[in-house]
Amino acid sequence: MSIKLGFKTSSIAITALLLSIGMTAKAGVVYDYIKNNNELMIATDANWAPFSYINDAGEMEGFDVDVGREIAKRMGVEARFITPAWDVITSGNWNMRWDVSVGSMTPTESRSEVLNFPAVYYYTPAAFAVHTDSTVTNLAGLNGKNICTTAASTWEMYLQGNLDMLNAPAFTYKVTPGTITSLVDGSACLDDTRLGAGVRNDGIIDSVPMIQNAIEAGYPIKFLGDNAFYEPLSVATDKGNNDAELDAEIARIIAEMQSDYTLSLLSMKWFKNADGSSNDYTIAY
Amino acid sequence: MFVDTVVEDKALHKPAFLIGLSVTVLAIFFAFNFTNTIFGEFLSPVIGNPEESGLFGRFVVSFVLSVIFVLNLLAISFARLKIQILIVWFELFLLFLAFAYSFDLKLSFIQSRIGLMISKGLFTTIYISAVSIVIATAIAIVGAIAKLSNNGFAYAIASFYTSLFRGLPLLLQVYLIYKGLPQLGFMVDAIPSGIAALSLCYGAYMTEIFRAGIQSIPKGQWEASRALGFKSGLILRKIILPQSIPIIVPPTGNQFIAMLKDSSLVSVLGIWELMYLAKTLGQRDFRHMEMLLTAAMIYWGLTIILEMIQARIERKYQQKT
Amino acid sequence: MPNEITNGNSVISLKGVNKWYGDFQALKDINLEIKAKEKIVICGPSGSGKSTLIRCLNRLEAHQEGQIHVTGIELHETMKDIDIVRQDIGMVFQGFNLFPHLTVLENCMAGPNWVRGIDEKEAKERAMSMLEQVKIPEQADKYPEQLSGGQQQRVAIARSLCMQPKVMLFDEPTSALDPEMVSEVLETMVELAKSGMTMICVTHEMGFAKQVADRIIFMDEGEIVEENTPEEFFNNPQNNRTKTFLDQILT
Ligand SMILES: Nc1ncnc2c1ncn2[C@@H]1O[C@H](COP(=O)(O)OP(=O)(O)OP(=O)(O)O)[C@@H](O)[C@H]1O
Ligand SMILES: [Mg+2]
Repeated sequence: MSIKLGFKTSSIAITALLLSIGMTAKAGVVYDYIKNNNELMIATDANWAPFSYINDAGEMEGFDVDVGREIAKRMGVEARFITPAWDVITSGNWNMRWDVSVGSMTPTESRSEVLNFPAVYYYTPAAFAVHTDSTVTNLAGLNGKNICTTAASTWEMYLQGNLDMLNAPAFTYKVTPGTITSLVDGSACLDDTRLGAGVRNDGIIDSVPMIQNAIEAGYPIKFLGDNAFYEPLSVATDKGNNDAELDAEIARIIAEMQSDYTLSLLSMKWFKNADGSSNDYTIAY
Repeated sequence: MFVDTVVEDKALHKPAFLIGLSVTVLAIFFAFNFTNTIFGEFLSPVIGNPEESGLFGRFVVSFVLSVIFVLNLLAISFARLKIQILIVWFELFLLFLAFAYSFDLKLSFIQSRIGLMISKGLFTTIYISAVSIVIATAIAIVGAIAKLSNNGFAYAIASFYTSLFRGLPLLLQVYLIYKGLPQLGFMVDAIPSGIAALSLCYGAYMTEIFRAGIQSIPKGQWEASRALGFKSGLILRKIILPQSIPIIVPPTGNQFIAMLKDSSLVSVLGIWELMYLAKTLGQRDFRHMEMLLTAAMIYWGLTIILEMIQARIERKYQQKT
Repeated sequence: MPNEITNGNSVISLKGVNKWYGDFQALKDINLEIKAKEKIVICGPSGSGKSTLIRCLNRLEAHQEGQIHVTGIELHETMKDIDIVRQDIGMVFQGFNLFPHLTVLENCMAGPNWVRGIDEKEAKERAMSMLEQVKIPEQADKYPEQLSGGQQQRVAIARSLCMQPKVMLFDEPTSALDPEMVSEVLETMVELAKSGMTMICVTHEMGFAKQVADRIIFMDEGEIVEENTPEEFFNNPQNNRTKTFLDQILT
């Protein structure tokens, strides 16, 4: 790591020496690039129904995808999606491989070291769930147990007791797990839970729409207790490029989509309950 | 192995072995308890309701199963070698299918997605592997020659390269190349990054294979060539490499087959290759097993094809020398 | 033929040659002059340095001290034209060293075609005529492993001759052969000797030595112990070590 940093600093020094253009000149660089290419490259997950997934035709689909398309449309450019692994996105340093992340990312202190969060576009509740046969009846019952979640996610941070969300509603740590099983794949924990209570894990924490979806697909799981916390979900851009112009444009577009109810309609299109009613997650809790 | 002309009695045809085998098989079937499976249902005329048949039912089921198992073995043992191989393959394949069937798969789901898996996933997998294999082979030839040369720079670079790229997990190399190259000013997209990682990693392994292949050629070949006044490059090209190919082909074929599957590691870069689609396509409908098993069959089929090609090439070179 | 060979100068000349393998001295102060058309037989007990000496003559081995001149060119570590020198010196090995992936004909054509710049047609004609000379033209399209040891060694001789060398080196060409095949190879060598080739042969075939050798060199422990005409060498050996050696191999 030190070698890499050393090289980076020295190459920056050289750049600064050779070109009188300072770092500030980078502002607008990504936005200009988007405009010039007439294309907004959007990073999102392909394993995250109903937010983003690959449909039968091999195309990206879902709430995040619709939001991404709408942002591109309002910028007046085409949308293109790219689906790197979640940790590749959250670790920053995109090197302009893609321009924005519209992938339900929660702004946190640690992520904000490498990423900018120009606009929160919805909020989801996170909740615990257990196998239907589980004897655990309340959240306290999960203390000391083996809880499964997605690696590098806010839920994992919550389980670890170091969830450093920015601009988030207040919350408390309601469960102190004995073991945290962190899996890379979004839905792997659900599959493990399906095997039975206490087989691979004693419970999971995930976003409510996700759990909802699994229950509808016939998974033998149930919600446990109240929602653990609400997380704001934001568009992210690369801090390395620090393109204030791009960030401002995204903030403007999201605000516009909120005020003309586009976001609410998209939310209600994608987040349906079993009884057919819809959820508008775009207004805070 | 080289077959002797005197044949020993088949173990299966020795009574002691047969009895020992039967008892062991019976014990295993008994231990695993197949009473509540389709076999129990099938035998319900004898044992009554499988659920209530108790130890008696369990014994009858395992007894019948072990008799079938041993009779099957005996029957196969009388067949000719080729037929034996065919039957055993077929039966093992049936068992595999039964395993897949036990997941309660939804075939219509597979049908609706398999087109995409092949047209997009398989195509990308083959494309990435094929390009990587070509580059890795080129790297390996250069690397092997460098490792065998007495040029200090060439040797040092080549041995550093093989040491580093054989010493790191492929997944780590994928990340390092994807995230690291842009730091050095080389912007590479996901697919070229993946291909670079695969080529460099397999190039390192294959360098060692090629080096060993070249070194296995007796030094008399070098001496005879030198005595005729051939220069090193000519000796390598016309005398040494052609002779090492038959030695290099089998392990290289194994590398190709391994690479085909390791190409799935580049899915972390968001490349929609076979494994990536297998993991994602089933997600919305929570039908992961369908997609994973489909991918398994595709990978397997592909490997069988590659094995056949490899056997062909090996046969061709065996005839030549 | 260039002048240095015909005007009576040495084709091969060694002056004060010393060679070591690590600490072990394999050649000690070797001085030797060989003229065009001379036939030299080198003999001596195992490990006496015969192979080492003959392999120094086309620099398959490097010497550390003294000078070796071959066809007027000095052999040394940084020389540029070793390939040219080697093209003029044929070598036949104990283990044949044919190229197993090439047919007999291709083995013989390789040298002229690849390094002598002779086109394929002419190389083939030359190869066939050499194979006739060693009496196996009918084997031309076979691969080496399909041939007997004696046939393989004759192909090896033909392969060298196709380069039209000025000197031929033989390192125990018959000692890997079954007894009944030795004579066919020796016959080939005798005929080659008759044709006027300069030959240096490491061999223990004393009949051959008597028949063709101009000089016999006896080596022991890296030294040339005795150097003489065949009659003198066999009938009147000067050195005790020579006598012991002759007693051993002639009985
Ligand atoms: N590459 C080598 N490294 C070290 N020592 C060597 C090497 N080649 C030969 N020698 C040693 O040099 C000595 C001379 O070897 P050389 O092969 O010249 O003997 P030779 O007279 O040809 O014997 P032979 O009749 O057995 O072929 C032997 O003692 C041998 O062990
Ligand atoms: Mg020898």
